Formats: sequence, structure tokens, C-alpha cells
Amino acid sequence: MIVFAAAVIIMTLFAGVFAPNDPYKTSATVIRTAPCADYPFGTDNLGRCVFSRVLYGGRTTIAATFFLVFVSFAIGTVIGMVCGYYGGIADRIFMRIADITLGFPQMVVAIAVAGILGAGMKGAMIALGITMWISFARLARSHTYSIKNEAYVKTVLFTGKSDFYIIMVHIFPNLMGPVLTNALTQIGTTMIGLSGLSFLGLGIIPPTAEWGSMISEARAYIQIAPWSVFYPAAATIITIIIFNYLGDVVMDYREAG
Amino acid sequence: MEHLLEGKKINKTFVTKGKETTALSDVSFYLDEGEILGIVGESGSGKSTLLNVVSGLIKADSGELFYGEENYIGKGPAHTGKFLRMIFQDAKSSFDPRMTMEKSLLESRRGKQDRGELSELIKAVGLEEKLLSRKVSDMSGGQCQRMSIARALYSEVGILLCDEITSAVDVSSQKQVVELLKKLNESRKLSCIFVSHDIALVSMLCGRIMIMKDGRCVEEGETAAVISDPKNEYTKLLIESAKKQSF
Repeated sequence: MIVFAAAVIIMTLFAGVFAPNDPYKTSATVIRTAPCADYPFGTDNLGRCVFSRVLYGGRTTIAATFFLVFVSFAIGTVIGMVCGYYGGIADRIFMRIADITLGFPQMVVAIAVAGILGAGMKGAMIALGITMWISFARLARSHTYSIKNEAYVKTVLFTGKSDFYIIMVHIFPNLMGPVLTNALTQIGTTMIGLSGLSFLGLGIIPPTAEWGSMISEARAYIQIAPWSVFYPAAATIITIIIFNYLGDVVMDYREAG
Repeated sequence: MEHLLEGKKINKTFVTKGKETTALSDVSFYLDEGEILGIVGESGSGKSTLLNVVSGLIKADSGELFYGEENYIGKGPAHTGKFLRMIFQDAKSSFDPRMTMEKSLLESRRGKQDRGELSELIKAVGLEEKLLSRKVSDMSGGQCQRMSIARALYSEVGILLCDEITSAVDVSSQKQVVELLKKLNESRKLSCIFVSHDIALVSMLCGRIMIMKDGRCVEEGETAAVISDPKNEYTKLLIESAKKQSF
């Protein structure tokens, strides 16, 4: 599974090497051409190579997803560790904010926020990030709370080490496993979210290649050029399956070990 | 005479969901240098709470705690760690699962860390030096308990607070741990509070004994005197049941 995930990342990261055509070059002579040797996934309504756009679009989607998951992971984990370690009023405030935010479906919040912020990848990422940190914060908080009550942390308290030392040396490494597994499982959800916002016109602005916006653009002529929808949709689904499965594999590995 | 460690009229009540539970009620004790004080009582008698209060892990509601002349009541383990260390019941959980024994032991000292001294200490507690490179998952309960004693010794404190440290190990390891504490007490003048529910074990190790029930000290005195002539009904019951178990 790691091999598949690595293959997806490498293919999209080096899209310039693997793409047979310019993803943004339009051509009136090859509009809606079916898959052939020159255009393995066919062309779209403007004569652009779908295969090249899928590769370049993957780069946009995957890079944005990884960035968003990483930022949410970092912010959520820090908030969770501080809340779990110190407790008190800050913990209660953050957790109530989390409870209230969780009361709304993530996509509904994201659509509302993205609608306010306007279309664009930045707005879409903020819209999704508003709710994404919560799962990391809650997970990190519960693990921090249980780890800080472990005898090995109590033992370190006698050495006079600072709270920062205890959090960084004893708590953070011991909660990395479950939080990292959560990060892997969040990749799929985030990819759906970003593509979904782009599909609704609230994410990436065309002509930038992105899977969600490609599907959105091509659905208008799905009956005459189904490949224009099929390949970006297949790429989205396969990538989500790969990263979800990778999360499961890591989780199984952790539980077994 | 000034005691090494002394507690006066310590009180502690826990409040859970509006319900109050008195864990310690006017408990007083003392520990002299080079002495092993045994604290015996059933589960919920307050003996572990007393150790947690003495160590600073839990704050007492009222009372006084003295280390020499210093009243340290209300101070946390970062302060008490300068003169005492706690050894926990489950030795395995007292080591970070991601750290080697060596790192855990070196971390326990506040001052300069000396790897050479560590090797000597490991031998002093009857363990092999190669165990230092292992993680807790590769150690037995008995080995971990001796390693936690070595860690406390390496931290260069004079007082050990042992909270049911023989409960989670097998009988032969129990004996080894008790003999080790005896040896260290004689060779290093180590002072120790040894908490256990096993009065027979405590009588083997401790010069003085304190019996606790329902958060109170019901009897206290020289171990031999308390065992041979118990004054309190609960102490008599404990001794009787220990005698029955030995058969």
C-alpha cells in the first residue's frame, strides 16, 4: 500500500515528466477526442489533454490536502496537548468550541465559510481547516490526559524537568502513533472536501487543473465525452482508497506491535 | 530529636460528583534517617494517598509536612524530588515505553549524569549491565522493579517511598526486592516508607510499622511489639489473617 501511495505522490509530483502534453494548451482540432495514443485519457471541451490535467490536478489536490492535514495536525495536536496537560478554563473553552463546531456537518460549515471567503484554494483550505483541527485536538487531548497520569510521567515530575520537556519528550512521542494514524485517515476526507468545494465552484478557480473542478467542468458534456469526467473521478476515488487503506494498515500495524 | 521526614495531622478529602470521601484524617507519622517505616492497611485505607501527599503528587487539605526543619506542605514533586523519590506499584508503567532503561535512569538525576556510576548501580541492584540498552517491553516485572530502585538510587536522594512495590511481581521477585531494600538500607543508610497490604512482608523488612484503616492511623510502634502484642482489633485481625495465609 505504501508503494501505491508513493507511486501516486511521485506521479503527481513529477507531473511535468510524466505528462505527455501541456495541461493548459487548448486546441480546437482535438476537442472531446476519445482516449488514443496521443491523449491516453482523451481531451476535454477545450481540447486539453485529460491525462496531463489529471496528473497536474493531482499535484494541486494532493499538495493542498497534505498541507491542510499537516497544518490541522500541528494546530490540533498542540491545542490538544496543552488542554490535556493543563486542563482548566482553556481546556473547557476549547472543548466547548469543538463540541459546538462538531454539531454542524463539516461540509455544510465548509461551504458556508468558503462562500463567505469566495472561491480559491486558500478560501477552501481555511473553510475545511476550521473543522479539521478538532479531531486532532480531541484525540491528542484524551491521549495526553491518560499519558500524564502514567507512572512514568509522574516519575519525571520528581526530576524537576519543565512542562515543555515533559510534553515534548514523554507525551508527544507517545501520542504520535494514534494521531498520525488519524492524519492518514483524514487525507481521504480532506481530498473529498477539497474536490467537493472545487466541484461546487468554491475551490480552485479554472483553468487551474484540479480533480474536483475538472469533474465539475466536464459534467456538462458527460454524455458526449464521458472520459473527461471518468478519469479525474477515478483518480480521486483510487487515491482516497489508497490513503484510507494506508491509514488502516498503519493502524493494524500499531495494534499488532 | 529532629526527624528526617515528619507529617503532622494530615487531612485529605476527595470530592467526586458531589460526594465526599475522607482519604486521610489527622494522620501523623515520622521517618528517621536509615529507617524503614512500614505502612499496612487494606485497600482504601489511605496508605497510597498518604504516600502521594508526602511525595507532593497530591496536595493535602491541611496538616504539616517536614523535611528536616523545612515545612514543604503544598509543594509539588519538582521540589520534593530533591530529597525523595517514589517507586510505583506497577514498575513497568513507570518507564517510558519508547526509552531505553539507560535514558530513563540518566534522566532521573538533576545534576551531572555519570554513565560509569550507572553500571555500578545496576550491579548493586543485582541486574546485568546489558539490560540498560533494553526498553521496558523487553523486561520482566521483577527486573523493572529493581531497575526503578536503581533509578531512585541514581537520583541521589535519601528517601524512597515504595507504594506496594511487591504487589505486581511474583513471590520470588518479591523476596528479591525486599532483600535488596534491606541490603541498601544497611549499606547506604537509605530511609524508606514501605507501603503494603501484606503485614507479613512488612514485618520482614521494617523496623517500625503503622497500621491504617479508613484514613486513620489505628496503631503504630516497633514492628516486633505490634506483631507480638497488637492493641487494636483491626491490627489483630490483620495478623490473624496473615498467620492463616502462611499455612
